[in-house]
Amino acid sequence: MMNSEFYEAYRNKHKLAEGWKRSGKRIFGYFCNYTPEELICAAGAIPVRIRGSAENVELADAHMPSFCCSFMRSALDQALKGRYNYLDGVVFPKTCDMTRGMYSIWSRNVKFPYYYSLPVPGKTNDAAVEFFIQELNLFKESLEKYTGQKISEDSLKKAITVYNENRKLLREVYKLQLKDNHALSASQIFGINMAGLIMPKEEHNAMLQKLLQNVPAPKAPPDGTVRLMLAGNTFENIEVLQAIEECGGDVVIDDIDIGTRYFWATVDEKQEPLKALSERYLRKIPCPCKHPAEPRLSHMLELAKEYRVKGVILIIQKFCDTHLYDRPWLESSLKEKGYPVLVVDHSDIGWSGGKFKTMVAAFIEMLG
Amino acid sequence: METKQDKPTPTPIKPLRLAAGAALGALNEKYYKELGSAKSEGRPVIWVTSMSPIELVYAFDGIPFFPENYAALCSSRKVAEELCRAAEARGYSQDLCAYALCMFGSIFEKKGAFGDEGPPAPDILLATEGACATHPKWWEALQRHFKCPMVIIDAAYTVDSPTLPKHQKEYFAAQFKEATSEMAGYLKKQVDMDKLREVVSQADSASQLWDEVDAMRAAVPTPISQIDVFTCLFPLVTLKGTRDAVEFYKQLRDEVKDRVNKGIGFIQNERFRLIWDLFPVYHNMRLLNYFAEFGATFVTDLYGNAFSGRLNPADPFGSLAERYLSFFMRAASQGKAELYKRRARQYKVDGIVFHSNRCCRCFTSEQPNIGAILRDELSIPSMTFEANMVDPRGYDDAQVKARIETFIEMLEAKKYPKK
Repeated sequence: MMNSEFYEAYRNKHKLAEGWKRSGKRIFGYFCNYTPEELICAAGAIPVRIRGSAENVELADAHMPSFCCSFMRSALDQALKGRYNYLDGVVFPKTCDMTRGMYSIWSRNVKFPYYYSLPVPGKTNDAAVEFFIQELNLFKESLEKYTGQKISEDSLKKAITVYNENRKLLREVYKLQLKDNHALSASQIFGINMAGLIMPKEEHNAMLQKLLQNVPAPKAPPDGTVRLMLAGNTFENIEVLQAIEECGGDVVIDDIDIGTRYFWATVDEKQEPLKALSERYLRKIPCPCKHPAEPRLSHMLELAKEYRVKGVILIIQKFCDTHLYDRPWLESSLKEKGYPVLVVDHSDIGWSGGKFKTMVAAFIEMLG
Repeated sequence: METKQDKPTPTPIKPLRLAAGAALGALNEKYYKELGSAKSEGRPVIWVTSMSPIELVYAFDGIPFFPENYAALCSSRKVAEELCRAAEARGYSQDLCAYALCMFGSIFEKKGAFGDEGPPAPDILLATEGACATHPKWWEALQRHFKCPMVIIDAAYTVDSPTLPKHQKEYFAAQFKEATSEMAGYLKKQVDMDKLREVVSQADSASQLWDEVDAMRAAVPTPISQIDVFTCLFPLVTLKGTRDAVEFYKQLRDEVKDRVNKGIGFIQNERFRLIWDLFPVYHNMRLLNYFAEFGATFVTDLYGNAFSGRLNPADPFGSLAERYLSFFMRAASQGKAELYKRRARQYKVDGIVFHSNRCCRCFTSEQPNIGAILRDELSIPSMTFEANMVDPRGYDDAQVKARIETFIEMLEAKKYPKK
C-alpha cells in the first residue's frame, strides 16, 4: 500500500517526537480542533494532537470517575504512563466540560513545564470573534514568554500559509473519493489524517504532494459497494474503517473531528493574522460544542450530496455530552433528507469489532 | 499498643424543625400558581438555565422557570425515572444530565411533577454557558421542540485565576446587554432600567442574607441541616430579585441567628463536621440524615453559594457579569480546592463527602483531584459515592450506607482515638 507510510508515522508518533525533541525542537501537545496550531508552529515548535490509545486504561482511573469519555481517560492514562514525556506542555481549549476539567487533572498529575487553558467562545458571532482575537493574543504572549522568543507577524503568516497548504492538499485527497472508482480506501485516508495530527505540517505537506503525484490507477469497487459518510466523535482504531470496508461499505466522506471538521476551512491570508485565525476557528465547520449547531448539519448535507452517499454511520462516544445531545436531531434530520443513519455507541466498536461488523453489515444490506 | 475502636452505630435523630419552612411552602405554592396563570395574565414565561440572570427576567416582568429545579421536584415526587425513560425512548442517552432528560420527558409526555401537564411552554429560552457547556445543548434541543426564540449568553473564561480579566468581564457583560436587547425585541418592550436596578438591589439583599446564614453554619454545633439548606435555596434560585425572597431570607437569618445565640444545633451531639460536594440526591434526601445518625453534620457546601453573590445596582450589567462568572463556577480543581481549604479552617471541618453524580461530567470529573489536594495539603479525608442526582435507577442504598459507616469509623478513629 503506497500510503501506509502515513499510518506507520502515526503508529510511531512517540518515537518521531522523541527524535524531534533530541534535535532541539519544542513540542506542545494540544486537544481538540479548536487549538490554533498556527501560533505554536509560528513559535518554532511542533504541535501534536493528544490522542488515546488501544492500551488498557490503568493509571487514569485513580484521577477521574469511570463515567467520563474513554478518549479522555485513555489520553490521561497515556500521559501518566510517560508516553508523552517529550512534551514541553499541553494546551486545553475550553470546548466541552471534559476538556476544561482535564486541564487541572493533567496539570496536577503530569509534570510538564507549560500548561495553557485557552478560553474559546461558544458562539461564533462578531463579538465572539473580536473577543477571541484578544484571547489569541494572550496565548501568543504566553508562548513567547515560555520560549523567550517573539512570534513575528511574518512567522505567523508563514505558519498560516503552511497550514492552508495542508488543508488544500487534504481536500485534493478527498476529491479523489468523488468518483466511484478511486484508488484510496477510507482506512488509507484515515491514516493520512492521523499522520497529519502528529507531525510538522511541512513534512505532512511533502508526503501529501508525493502521494498526489503518484496516485495509483482508480479501481472499480466490488459489486454492491455502498458509499457512506462517517460522522461523530473521534476514535483511535483504524480497524473501524477496515471493518466497514469488509462489510462492503465505502466511506468516501466524513464529518469527524480529525477529518473534515479539522481541515475543511482555511484561514484568510489577506487579513490581519490574529483576526483571520479567530474567524477561521470560530467559523469552521462547528463541532457540537458551538452555537448555533445548524451549520454542521448543512455541511453534512452538502457533503452527503456532493459525495453521493447512501447513508451515514454516526459514531458517538459514551459519555460525550455535546454529541449525545445532538444525536436525535442529527439522526432525524438526516433521515428526513433521505440518508438512513446507523448510530453506533463507541464502546461497541471494541477491538475485535464483532458486534460492530454485524451492525454495519445489516445496515449496508438495508441500503443496498 | 493499638486499641480497637468501637464500631459506630447509628442512633435515630429528631432534627430540629425550621419554623421558616412554612413560609417556604407558601412561597413555593405562590410561585407555581403564578407560573400557572402567567400566560393568561400576559406575563412572559422564560425558561432559564442555572447561572442565567433571572434578574433580567424579573426586570421584564416575566416569570422564570428553571427546568433544573423542576427536575429536582420531579425526582423528590418520584416521577423522574418515568420521565427520563421517556426521553431515552426518543434517542437521548441515559448518560446525559438527568435534569435535561427529566425535562425532555415531561415535555414529550406532557406530564408534570404534580400529576398535571407540566409547566407552561416558554416564550423565550434563556441559556448561558456559565455553568456548563451542556446547558446550551439542551436548550437547543428544547428550542427545536418549542420553536420559540432562544437567547444564549456566551461565556469563555479563565479557570485558574480568582479574578476575571477585564476583557472577559467586558465580553460577558456585553452579552448580558445583548441578551437584554434581544429579549426586548422578542417581548416588544424595552427593559425598564429603574426596575432592573431595583431587582438587582433585591437580589443583592437576598444574597447578602443567604451569605449570613451560610457564615453562621460555622457555629459549633452547626445550626441548620444540609437538607434545610438545600430546601431553602428555592427562593435564591427562582425568586431572586423579588421582595418575597428578601423577606423569606430575613426570617431564615433571624431563626438561624437565634439558634446560634442559644448554642442550639439542628441535632444534639454533633461529633463530626463535614463538607458536602456538590449536588443533592433529590430522590433520597434522607441520606443526609443517615450521616446525622452518627453525629455527622454538613457545615458547608459550595452549591448554595453558586446561587448567591453580591451585586451593584449602580452597575447592573457589570456586577451581574462578575457574579455569574464567580470563581467557584469556573475554577479549575486547584482553585476549588483553595475555596474548600479556606472553608475547612473557617468551619472546622473533619472531612469531605463527594457525591459522584453520574450524569454530570462538569462538576464531577475533578472531584478525585480536589479530594487529593485536600488530603495532601490539609490531611482532610474524603469519601465518594456514586448516584444520579435525579434518576433513582442504579442507586444502591445499602452500598452507599456501608460506605458511610466505613467513613465514619475512620473519622472516629482519627478524631476520637481510644487511648
